[in-house]
Amino acid sequence: MKTEVQQENNTTIVKVTGSVDALTAADLSKVLTTQITDGRTNLVVDLTGVEFMSSAGLRTLLGAVKEARSNGGDLRIISTNPGVDKVLKMSGFNNIAKVFPSQAEAVSSFGS
Amino acid sequence: MLKYFRIKQEPEKVVPDLGAISISLLERDATLPFTIRQLNNLPENVKQRMYRGLIPPALLTRFGIDPIQWTNASKEQMVSLKAEENSEKVLLTAQSSPNVSDEFFALELADNSLNGIELNLIVLNDPATPRYSIDQTEDGAPTMFGTLKRNLRAEEAAMQAGLAPGQVRAGLGSSRVVLEQLEAFLSMLGHRAYFLEPLTYASAWVFERRGFAYVRGHKLMDDIHREFQPGGKLYQYLDDRSPFRKRNQASTVRGCAWAIHDGILETLDLRWDNIRMVKQIGRHAGVETFSQGTY
Amino acid sequence: MISTHRMTRAAYLESLEVFRGFIKERCAAVPGVTDEILYDMQLAVDEACTNIISHGYAGMDPGSIILDLNIDSDKITISLTDFGHAFEPSSTPIPDVDAPIEERELGGFGLFFIQQSMDEIDYQVTEDGNKMILTKFLRKLDGG
Repeated sequence: MKTEVQQENNTTIVKVTGSVDALTAADLSKVLTTQITDGRTNLVVDLTGVEFMSSAGLRTLLGAVKEARSNGGDLRIISTNPGVDKVLKMSGFNNIAKVFPSQAEAVSSFGS
Repeated sequence: MLKYFRIKQEPEKVVPDLGAISISLLERDATLPFTIRQLNNLPENVKQRMYRGLIPPALLTRFGIDPIQWTNASKEQMVSLKAEENSEKVLLTAQSSPNVSDEFFALELADNSLNGIELNLIVLNDPATPRYSIDQTEDGAPTMFGTLKRNLRAEEAAMQAGLAPGQVRAGLGSSRVVLEQLEAFLSMLGHRAYFLEPLTYASAWVFERRGFAYVRGHKLMDDIHREFQPGGKLYQYLDDRSPFRKRNQASTVRGCAWAIHDGILETLDLRWDNIRMVKQIGRHAGVETFSQGTY
Repeated sequence: MISTHRMTRAAYLESLEVFRGFIKERCAAVPGVTDEILYDMQLAVDEACTNIISHGYAGMDPGSIILDLNIDSDKITISLTDFGHAFEPSSTPIPDVDAPIEERELGGFGLFFIQQSMDEIDYQVTEDGNKMILTKFLRKLDGG
C-alpha cells in the first residue's frame, strides 16, 4: 500500500493505492493521524486506486473520521472500485461519512 | 533417512476414555477413533496382529525378517513390541541382527491429551553404514541426540559424512513408505491426523516434504530461511570460525540444521523449540519453507 | 468437482495478500465468476485468515493456514484450516450498521463481512484442525 498527499484549496487529499488490509491499515492510519495532528483536518481519502480493502481498512477510516471531526474537520472518501464500494456500503459507512465518485466533487464539498 | 524427535514427557490425560474396546463398541461405529491405550488393553495375540500393521512388510523382508513371525532365518526374534496394558504408548523396534546396535527401525506412538496421536520417535538407520557416536560423550554419558550434551568430535565427523544433527547413521531412504504405512494404520484406528515435534531443522524440512503443516513454528521456519539468505541476520554468523558455522552451510538444509544445532538462533534471541507439526492423514499440505532447498 | 487446489502458508499478516492472490489466480477465469463474486471470495478469505492470525494463533509462534479450493460448475467452496485456538463465532457481536458514528465500535466487522460475502458458512472443530468452510454459488451463464 502506498499513499501520496497533496493539497487542493483547503483540503488535503490522501491518495491511496494498493491494498488496505490488516497488514497495511496501520500505515494508512499513521498517515491520516499525522495530517490531523498537523492541523490538516479537511481530509479527502482517495480510494480509487485501491484494489482491495477489508474491515481493517474500514476501521482505520472510521477512526480517522472520528478524529478529524473531533478536531473541527471531516474526512470524506472518493471511491469508484465496486469492491471497495461494497465494503463501505455493507458496513453502513455511507450513513456516517460522505462518499464521492470524483475528486472534484469531494474537494468542492468542503466549500472554500 | 534418519529422523529423530524430541522425546515427549507423559501427556496429561484430561479426557476420560474407555480402557477397553468391547465387541459391542466395535460393532456400533466403524469410524470411532481408538486410542493406543485401548489397543494396548486388547488380548496379546490381537495386539500382536494389529501392531504388525505399523511396519511395512517390505522393510522387514529387506533385512531377511519374516513379516508375520518377526523372525530371521535362524528363527531369532528381530522385532520387538512394547505395548503394555494400560500404557498410552507403543514402541516397535526392529534389528537386522541379534546385535542391538543393528537396530534399523524404531517407532513410538502415544496418545495425547486431546485424544489424538503423537509420533514420539521415528528412527530409520542403515546398519550397513558407519556409526558415529554423537549419542554419547567421550566418557559415555548420553547426549540425547546432542541436545543435552554434545560430542563435538563425533558430530564433526558425522557432519562431514553427510549426516544431519541427531543422526548416528545414514538413513534408510524409506521414510515415505514408513509414514504411509503409519497413515494406513492410524486410519484403520479411525484417526484423521497425527502430531509430532521435530528434533531438528532438517527433520522439520523432511516432514514438510512428507506433507506436514505446522501447529506452531511455521513463522519461525520462514524467519530462519529468510535470515540464512545472504545478507540475513543468521547468515552473518556463518563466519567460518567453527566447523559448524561455515559459510557454505547456508545453501543446504543439513548445513542450516547443523548451525541451528550449534546454537546460531541464540544470536536472534530464538531457540529451536516449540515447533509442532501436524499431518492430515491422506493429505499433503504442500509446505515448503526452504523453497527448492537442497537437503 | 471440476478442480481442487490447495495452498498452505504461515499465519501472519504478510500471507493475506498471498491467499487473496491465490483465489484470484484460480478463480478469476472460471465461468460464472463475476468481479463481484471474486471480490466477495477474496474478502471472506481475508477476513477469516485475519481472524485466525489475530486470535487463532495468539500467544504462540504461528502455525499454518491451509486453504482448500473446490471449484464446481455451480459453486466454489473454500475451506480454511488452522491448528490454533478454535474460533467462537457466537461471542462476536454483529455490528450495528445503522448506528450513528458516536455509537459505532471500531471493530467487529470481520465475521459480519464473511457472512455478507458468502452464501454458506460452516465451522467445524475436528481432529485434523479447525475448519471454516465457505461456499459461494455461481451465477449460471444462461441466466439460470
